[in-house]
Amino acid sequence: MSNRNGSPLIEVEGLKKYFPIHKGLFSRHVGDVRAVDGVSFRVGRRETLSLVGESGCGKTTTGRVLLRLLEPTAGRAVYRPDPGSAPVELFELSQREMRPYRRDLQIIFQDPYASLNPRITVGNTIGEPLKVHGIAKGSALQDQVEDLLLKVGLRPEIANRYPHEFSGGQRQRIGIARALALRPKLIVCDEAVSALDVSIQAQVINLLKDLQEEFGISYIFIAHDLSVVKYISDHVAVMYLGRIVEQGTTRQIFEDPRHPYTQALLSAIPKPDPKERRRHIPLEGDVPSPIHPPSGCHFHTRCPVVEDRCRVEFPATHDLGDGHTAACHLLGQQA
Amino acid sequence: MTLSETKQDTDRERRGAAVPLLELKDLRTYFYSEEGVARAVDGVSYTLLEGETLGVVGESGCGKSVTALSVMQLIPIPPGKIVDGEILFRGKNLLELTGAEMRKIRGNEIAMIFQEPMTALNPVYTVGNQIIETVMLHQGLSKLAARDRAIEMLSKVGIPSPESRVDDYPHQLSGGMRQRVMIAMAMSCGPSLLIADEPSTALDVTIQAQILNLIAELQEDTGMSVLLITHDLAVIAETADHVAVMYAGKVVEYAGTPELFERPRHPYTIGLFRSLPDLAAPGQRLPTIPGVVPSAFHFPSGCRFRTRCSIATDLCARSEPPLAKVADSTDVHTVACHHLAEAQTL
Repeated sequence: MSNRNGSPLIEVEGLKKYFPIHKGLFSRHVGDVRAVDGVSFRVGRRETLSLVGESGCGKTTTGRVLLRLLEPTAGRAVYRPDPGSAPVELFELSQREMRPYRRDLQIIFQDPYASLNPRITVGNTIGEPLKVHGIAKGSALQDQVEDLLLKVGLRPEIANRYPHEFSGGQRQRIGIARALALRPKLIVCDEAVSALDVSIQAQVINLLKDLQEEFGISYIFIAHDLSVVKYISDHVAVMYLGRIVEQGTTRQIFEDPRHPYTQALLSAIPKPDPKERRRHIPLEGDVPSPIHPPSGCHFHTRCPVVEDRCRVEFPATHDLGDGHTAACHLLGQQA
Repeated sequence: MTLSETKQDTDRERRGAAVPLLELKDLRTYFYSEEGVARAVDGVSYTLLEGETLGVVGESGCGKSVTALSVMQLIPIPPGKIVDGEILFRGKNLLELTGAEMRKIRGNEIAMIFQEPMTALNPVYTVGNQIIETVMLHQGLSKLAARDRAIEMLSKVGIPSPESRVDDYPHQLSGGMRQRVMIAMAMSCGPSLLIADEPSTALDVTIQAQILNLIAELQEDTGMSVLLITHDLAVIAETADHVAVMYAGKVVEYAGTPELFERPRHPYTIGLFRSLPDLAAPGQRLPTIPGVVPSAFHFPSGCRFRTRCSIATDLCARSEPPLAKVADSTDVHTVACHHLAEAQTL
């Protein structure tokens, strides 16, 4: 939080990612899935920004485009490796020019079963990035791999074993060790703890926090479990159908949510307290298709306080003070 | 006496008398493989009362789903086998029924919904056909009447324009809608017991709230019992009347929901609650349960939680603690631990 006013690690502006839909004999371009439709955010140093929202809101796509695992349709991302260093326009680099920066930008995936190659030993999985980037080889490489295993709470002897011998939580630790190998500045955690059991999830969350402290890593934490998000994040951006509808500090979002979608999302979380048992005010219906998103405010089809102009006019993003912003027509009226 | 008074009376009777609908007694379901015997369910006993919701909570591999599949007798044999125990449904042991007798109960009196509705629905039949098949089989309705029933059920579970949706295929529906279809199918024969195995886990949080509300409403309307299996303590808190906590193929603690959340007794339950990020202050480290769940092929001797328990002693390795009533509880609280007093200081 302290670095909010200093130069951020990454600044994203107007990021868009459309997936074209082709149909018919000549693969005519008939439309687009607007997975991400103009999002802007910044990630501070040593900071955790969470992207939250329901399936299909574009949070995963945002993370992948940022790392250039997918090519952006529009927008820019400015990366400053160090507070004083010259800004790098990530989206203007060729794949070759991008390569050195890949060391700094890593990702951990949701499914610890699918994200490790079953035919490569744990040691080679973790050592691979070190070899590719020419950082270490031979016994130095082995030492580093053992170091990394210790860092993530695994025994160094397991380097010669294969992923299938490990539980989900252990595999996720292996994935973290691999991401950590190149001493990255930013790790995108794409639902990194969602598939884990409660007791194991707590272990991995603690590990992520410890590593952040030790190495000064920033996280983009993509998740749908809001209780984890509340615990781990400094800032939160709430996404709906490819757009950020509200953004602020964790406290602002959880204690003073201003967008009706954020309010509904928070009210839908079950609380582990039987005394607070209540009927939620659930949102009606499902998330609409991002191929034909609703006109005006994307949320108007499910919004409990919808007005006529929400159906036609796209709401501007209102500044609510202290970096808290939300895109809703009703907020403009109050001001 | 008016009708509503009669209803209130029977409600009271039901609650007062607390009639058990389903009783598991020392149920053991093992799986035999080349690696050895996996004792997935190893002596599980619990009781589900008429009209109530029993939450079964535990981590992956604790045997909560296999217990439910054993009740439905949907365990693949081989490699699985129900080796011991009783499953009493309205006092009748389901394990003594013939295949034909069990088929009359399965899907009719006891219905089940699963975590992943896409794999539970048949992709090549319309959702209507799948419900129609169920009602024709169990209720002996004609095809036309069964179709009307299917539409009625779809509308009851909140599917918009059910008259046209009845002819949709599963892939044309969203995840939440598919789970509604599963519930419609499960409810179509008016079951007295609904087994819901992680019914909302694969769904987004707003859709999860919709589905849990729907199950609660249907339960209020029909008075059915619900056996809710989940790993999510918050879902239990909001829906269950009683909770059974499972660990490594056994029930380690059983209590009324308010009591369990107020004062968990078993070191495992205590650890589970502590590791919830909901209850931790930001910045504070999450308390964790060290280690991992033991494999069903090699459970530790004695108490199965002792390898991860901070207060375990030699006694825990030597003898398995029985599930016993908690002395200073007015509730039906039972717990399987040798060191209850020490556990309270955790």
